[in-house]
Amino acid sequence: MVELIVGGLFIYAGATKVLDPLQFAIDIDNYKSIPWSIAVRLAFYLPWLEMLCGLALITRRLYLGGLSILSLLISIFIVLSIVAKARGLDISCGCFGHASKYLSFAGHLALNFAILAALLTLFWRARSPQKESS
Amino acid sequence: MARRPDAGAGYAGRPAAVTSHFLRQALLLAALAFVPAIGQAIYFRERVSWQSPIPPSEMVTVRQARAWGADVIWVDARPEEDFTHDHVPGAILLNEDRWNELLPPFLATWSPEKKVVVYCSTQSCNLALEVARRLRNEAQLKDVYVLQGGWEEWLKQKK
Repeated sequence: MVELIVGGLFIYAGATKVLDPLQFAIDIDNYKSIPWSIAVRLAFYLPWLEMLCGLALITRRLYLGGLSILSLLISIFIVLSIVAKARGLDISCGCFGHASKYLSFAGHLALNFAILAALLTLFWRARSPQKESS
Repeated sequence: MARRPDAGAGYAGRPAAVTSHFLRQALLLAALAFVPAIGQAIYFRERVSWQSPIPPSEMVTVRQARAWGADVIWVDARPEEDFTHDHVPGAILLNEDRWNELLPPFLATWSPEKKVVVYCSTQSCNLALEVARRLRNEAQLKDVYVLQGGWEEWLKQKK
């Protein structure tokens, strides 16, 4: 069930960005951490990666790979958001396309931490699958 | 009850083997994502500016915009407090914070023969870029430009 929710969330998040890669490139560029030429390339790549990893969680194929990548991505976003806030940048994370603009910084951070917690829970459950299946 | 993930069994006992399994799976997913991404990038190649957020054709210098004289509508995409503090003479406030509220009065002043020049604080801010994009995509306006260097450049050239 957790896989379905978290995987579905990442598929939704990826799909909103795939529809408007230029907007996502602008959202990445807002962090002022990487040059535009890299931001725009990442804007084409990251949404597909998110969707594939979300699909991996739901279908349980390449499961641990999907978990690892999503945990890494969400951790990077959390760090970048905090750094951006500390630098006084007023940004939208772009996590859910244009809808992200309506999330406050605290709301955005809480959501990302909740997702990270869910991913770590899935890691923990993958460590002891015997308990789960009994 | 739930089906076991394809790489979960034996995790605790063989950390090195599982780490390598993690990596293989992660690399495979990372590689797979390139396929649709490259396809989409090829599809969008003409519509995306790869080297700068704003294609040169959609930017205008302060000098050029001033030369257009009365044919220009200046749009200030900065937050309201910045606009209230100072702005380009005749500029209209239109930012994303109050888009729905500010768009109708802007459209009331717009006419097809006018060029729209949007600016924000500096060259690196993206507010003007986003407002310009929304004016093109949502309001279907043509002749929408972003001011190169933004408000800072306008101030420099005013001196």
